[in-house]
Amino acid sequence: MKVLVPVKRVVDYNVKIRVKSDDSGVELANVKMSMNPFDEISVEQAIRMKEAGQVEEIVVVSVGPQQSQETLRTALAMGADRAILVKHDDVVEPLAVAKILKGVVEEENPGLVILGKQAIDDDSNQTGQMLAALLGWSQGTFASEIEISGDTAKVKREVDGGLQNIEIKMPAIITTDLRLNEPRYASLPNIMKAKKKPLDEKSVGDYGVDTAPRLTVVKTEEPEGRKAGVIVGSVEELVSKLKNEAGVL
Amino acid sequence: MNDDLREKFIAIVGTKNARVNQEDIAPYLREWRDRWEGKSELVLLPANTQEVSQILALATETKTPIVPQGGHTGLVGGGMPDMSGDAVILAMGRMNKVRDIDTAGNTITVEAGCILQSVQEAADDVGRLFPLSLAAEGSCQIGGNLSSNAGGTGALSYGVARDLVLGLEVVLPTGEILNDLNALKKDNTGYNLRHLFIGAEGTLGIITAAVVKLFPKPKGQITAFLGLETPAAALELFQAARDFAGQSLTAFELMPRLGVEFTTKHVDGVRDPLTTPYPWYVLLEVSSGESEDHAQSLLEHLLENQMEAGSVLDGAVASSVSQSKDFWHLRESMSESQKPEGGSIKHDISVPVHAIPSFMLDAEKAVLDIEPSARICAFGHLGDGNLHYNISQPVGADKQEFLAMDRVITPAVHGLVLKYNGSISAEHGIGVMKRDEMAKIKDPTALDLMRRIKKNFDPAGIMNPQKVL
Ligand SMILES: Cc1cc2nc3c(=O)[nH]c(=O)nc-3n(C[C@H](O)[C@H](O)[C@H](O)COP(=O)(O)OP(=O)(O)OC[C@H]3O[C@@H](n4cnc5c(N)ncnc54)[C@H](O)[C@@H]3O)c2cc1C
Repeated sequence: MKVLVPVKRVVDYNVKIRVKSDDSGVELANVKMSMNPFDEISVEQAIRMKEAGQVEEIVVVSVGPQQSQETLRTALAMGADRAILVKHDDVVEPLAVAKILKGVVEEENPGLVILGKQAIDDDSNQTGQMLAALLGWSQGTFASEIEISGDTAKVKREVDGGLQNIEIKMPAIITTDLRLNEPRYASLPNIMKAKKKPLDEKSVGDYGVDTAPRLTVVKTEEPEGRKAGVIVGSVEELVSKLKNEAGVL
Repeated sequence: MNDDLREKFIAIVGTKNARVNQEDIAPYLREWRDRWEGKSELVLLPANTQEVSQILALATETKTPIVPQGGHTGLVGGGMPDMSGDAVILAMGRMNKVRDIDTAGNTITVEAGCILQSVQEAADDVGRLFPLSLAAEGSCQIGGNLSSNAGGTGALSYGVARDLVLGLEVVLPTGEILNDLNALKKDNTGYNLRHLFIGAEGTLGIITAAVVKLFPKPKGQITAFLGLETPAAALELFQAARDFAGQSLTAFELMPRLGVEFTTKHVDGVRDPLTTPYPWYVLLEVSSGESEDHAQSLLEHLLENQMEAGSVLDGAVASSVSQSKDFWHLRESMSESQKPEGGSIKHDISVPVHAIPSFMLDAEKAVLDIEPSARICAFGHLGDGNLHYNISQPVGADKQEFLAMDRVITPAVHGLVLKYNGSISAEHGIGVMKRDEMAKIKDPTALDLMRRIKKNFDPAGIMNPQKVL
């Protein structure tokens, strides 16, 4: 089986996000970018399945600017076999990404697509589900355990109330949650090998997808900062403040 | 101390800012390695320089010993009072204001009680770097860092604490205030007094504020965790890395397999970055003033060459800040990971960088001759010639019995340090731990000069008595 793993280049999880001075978006200049952490988990999952002999080839794909190559190289260094960069410099919304991925799926014919449940930059949590709908494939989202046997996949899903076990038919879309695995570090010899692995460049036009945004960003704001705390002198004062100022009692 | 004097001291800071009950004082008497005991009946928490000045004037007048305390993370007993119970502990934590940040001059003026991490964060908020960094940074204070002239992991490219200071405000034992809060890079007017207080471990006065240097934040930074065969290979790699990356080589930390075993076993969230074990490891960090790509390409070129040359056997390269934090977490928890392994005899030594491999061979032989089952966990800032040459007890041995062996092990290790023209206290200072030993080995003229300076600054002998000298 071939597995397709889409990966996205996002602002590093540990970077303190700053809003651009004109409120139009988030400052990206000179900011450390890394692979979306959920996508790292997806790549790791694919590699483990390959190590277990369930997968023959792992293809990683990224829709984004030239620098997304770095992200693809990271995935190749972790253990993916081949990469596709669908070059596009502007914002691409989840529906457009899903349509592009549909095109890639039709070209590559994977038996399984593993995506992160969401990207930590826009937190949309939509691409996997949209792709499933466009392809008419089954979907297992928020996976914390995956077991493939024959043409079914058992997926343990992290839902609000706890865990849900489902069985879906292959080919399928699976989106990954945090507890699925702990991604490996890219080793030095593998980083060197990754430089020789194939990386194809495509354009959005190759898939005939209109990427014009359907949403307009009105304004980007920082969340309100936490107000400084006060030390109260007595229990009475605390109760009075909770009643009269906070209005929670 | 009589009640009258106690009340006078308390009046200076206010009752709320004095600790008089033993249960409130206890945390100030607990020390990181549980090595020293001390007593005190009064802890004062001054709010400003004036209060410190009044406290010291009163102390000199009444010959009351004063023990300064910052974050109390020092490792040589410098912040511990003796067992007489006469000393007043002066805890600096309330003096924690950032007084000024100057982004044109790249300086920050901070009070002594600022936690190191909060100084780093204040710098970060204005897009600058304050490069002093050590594992205790969440609790140690800038006043303590300067008083012990801390080194840490940034010393390789930015220097030790001393190199980062432009000016100081100090209260002398007499209560006089020395205002030398100089923010100038160039100032050659007379003796440079600040350097006397830096590294003085609180024996000459209380540092109340400092002007320290800020640096441009690197635009790209990348961390690698490498597997090597020997310390000699690590030295070879270090030289190649410095030749190749110059100032961009911002960290070079050596660790033994045993240390990786200890941390993966005992410390939450630590895993071995490599799939197979290696005898030695190096954490290497490259920073670039240009870009992330530049840092990456420097690192990859360097490591490719070194893998071909054979000094590097394997490695992992962090592809995100989280992964880089993982590597640093492993390195920084190496100290604490030794605790669950029983007794550990510790040395904080430096030798000329080129001598590290031969020192390590000699020291290992010397230690194993004394105790063949001792487990050596030597790690540290190889690029600075500085190792924490720690020795864990044999598995299953009696902790106290093993610790008592420091009477033979330490002279053996330190003897080799001196043979290689090294220092028996590279970073952590003298405190009470190494006072007597320093008296034996330091140049007599230097010792005499130190004693004269001490006597002159502190005629009543109140400042952190029995420490250093
Ligand atoms: C986990 C850990 C890792 C460490 N790593 C390193 C390292 O990598 N490099 C390194 O160099 N050190 C290291 N240290 C030791 C290091 O010296 C301290 O962590 C730190 O520099 C001391 O700061 P502090 O505020 O805790 O000082 P304290 O321990 O409170 O005091 C240190 C000395 O300075 C005096 N003092 C404190 N504040 C003042 C003041 N305002 N004026 C005058 N005297 C004062 C005290 O009396 C004492 O003698 C480490 C310690 C720990 C626990």
